[in-house]
Amino acid sequence: MKRIAFSIAKSRTKFLLLLFVVELIVLSLISPYFFDMNNLMQVTQFGASLTLLSLGEALVMIAGRDGIDISIGSAMSLSGVIFGLSVMNGAGIFSATIITLVSGIFLGAVNGSLVAVAKIPALIATLGTQYIYGSLALYLTGGIPISGFPDGFKALSLESTFGIPNQILFVVIPVTALVFILVYKMKFGRRVYLMGTNFEAAKYTGIKEKKVRMCVYILAGLLASISAVINNSWLMTARADAGTGMEMQAITVAVLGGIGVAGGVGHLGGVLIGVIIITMMNSGLQIANINSVWQLAALGFILVLAIILNHTMARFVANVEKNGE
Amino acid sequence: MGVRGVFKKYVPKPGRREYVTFLLLIAEIILFGILAPNFLTIDNMIRVIQNNAEIAMVSLGMTIVMLLGGIDLSVGSVMGVIAILIGYMLQANVNIFIIVIAAIGIGIGVGFVNGFLVAKFNIPDMIVTIATMNIWKAVIFALLGGKWLTGLNPSWAPVSRAKFLGIPVLLLLIIAVYAVFYYFLMYRRFGRYIYATGCNPQSANLSGINIKRIKLISYCISGGIAAIAAMLYIARMGSVEMTIGSDLPIACIAAVTIGGTGAKGNGKRGSVIGTLAGVLFIAFLKNGIVILGIPSLLENCFIGLLIVISVLFDAVTAGGRVIKKNREVTA
Repeated sequence: MKRIAFSIAKSRTKFLLLLFVVELIVLSLISPYFFDMNNLMQVTQFGASLTLLSLGEALVMIAGRDGIDISIGSAMSLSGVIFGLSVMNGAGIFSATIITLVSGIFLGAVNGSLVAVAKIPALIATLGTQYIYGSLALYLTGGIPISGFPDGFKALSLESTFGIPNQILFVVIPVTALVFILVYKMKFGRRVYLMGTNFEAAKYTGIKEKKVRMCVYILAGLLASISAVINNSWLMTARADAGTGMEMQAITVAVLGGIGVAGGVGHLGGVLIGVIIITMMNSGLQIANINSVWQLAALGFILVLAIILNHTMARFVANVEKNGE
Repeated sequence: MGVRGVFKKYVPKPGRREYVTFLLLIAEIILFGILAPNFLTIDNMIRVIQNNAEIAMVSLGMTIVMLLGGIDLSVGSVMGVIAILIGYMLQANVNIFIIVIAAIGIGIGVGFVNGFLVAKFNIPDMIVTIATMNIWKAVIFALLGGKWLTGLNPSWAPVSRAKFLGIPVLLLLIIAVYAVFYYFLMYRRFGRYIYATGCNPQSANLSGINIKRIKLISYCISGGIAAIAAMLYIARMGSVEMTIGSDLPIACIAAVTIGGTGAKGNGKRGSVIGTLAGVLFIAFLKNGIVILGIPSLLENCFIGLLIVISVLFDAVTAGGRVIKKNREVTA
């Protein structure tokens, strides 16, 4: 028994899979329709934006130096609004997407230059930009959602191929694969992890810290703008509050997925399972007809519990290993 | 160095950074005074102070938390929860002393939860308070159930309107509270412990300061002050609605950072004097935006920009200082 507990505590993946199974059982007890392949596939589309945002957030946290990006929600809102405005001003869907991605890169670069170049604490810098981006989005729309996208735009997020929603199959899966290749098969990822694990060592190995950290924030901004395009197509409107609260969900997912807040710890695979768990919980709460405010509160509880769990599990593992020797 | 010199060395003073904030404040007042003719009127000044009493109060607690390198994003929702509870107690005709004591007690208790999670489990301040912020938001929703609490008329309501010798009582109250906090932070042991811990937690710990307890107490103070702000809010508005306190944390963080107290790594610097200047700066800015007819949707954009610029300023000047020191050491 103790050995099983130890193996679960030591491997984040095992623990998350266990949590996932428990959640599936609970949700299918609440609603008999939940455990149905069709429904499960439909649920995935709720997690599309969250997946991309959490990958960016997780990378920022892995890169260390108290890295955190609480502006990604507002960056998503603002780039979504920019997408809407460019379509309204006569740009085609394709060129509007390019404009949006460029604006996402720019928003990320602003964060990156504040944190990496000017060395402002990430929390304060992104708190400031969160309000700047959010209020610019509100100002640009005047608080009124932008709608009236061409009908063909629906194909991105409101239709499915082989029963899998399009945005998952054609956007989220390829982008996630690219991010995984970038982080786990290329030098960039090793640099990010080393920077988070041991900042000094990274410096003496010759890693250009400013450049790498800048890239991490730019990547987070880019992922936010991709999720903005998906979200616009899904709702067929561009709303200034589209990303409100998303940063909170992304941070929760990252922490639940085992990303250490001090940097250098955790695997993006855990983040993906975290996304699935949180998305299913949200849709379960929706099926049970519970107000969205409680979803946020539930996220808050999960966030605190996840960190306490990280803490106690690390201690448990350290204890067992010490006694074992 | 004579006795006076030694003594002088041990009397802490607000640094140069606070003067910068005051200069900015004066520049801002002059700018708005030129641009808007009805800005520099006594009525307007009084209105500004009355409308920003909560920010002034909560910023005090935020200053202490941020001096220790933390941040408290939950203050707004905490204030909301306490305001609602006060509202229900007022409707039930509970004795006023019990209400005041209960409110402050709840505030301290709520702050204790934050502080306990931060100090006991070593969870970053931001994560804890972001989580508790959302939990309290849900509690506000549950307590109000989509309704408004209106027609509240507590017996301390006159505080927000009354004048003593032509000066608003609120202003006197704010100055008094700031003076008390200034005294405790600068001249009492507890205050010096806070600066020592914020400056260098390791050496503070080694010199025998219980840094976990200091952190815990700082969050309790923050919660207790949020309770006082809730009382002022009810006195001013007479009602409570769903979105109460949602803009409070950003305004307070802006006031504190403009006042020179940065989060993390900058803990030793800053004082409540700077915070007071920062609060006034934010208050006049909000007022000036309205008077000049700038769209209010952009208000948070300006506040966010100010936060970024003031931290940028601190980062640049602090960076220069560090480089200089290193040169001296190597030379």
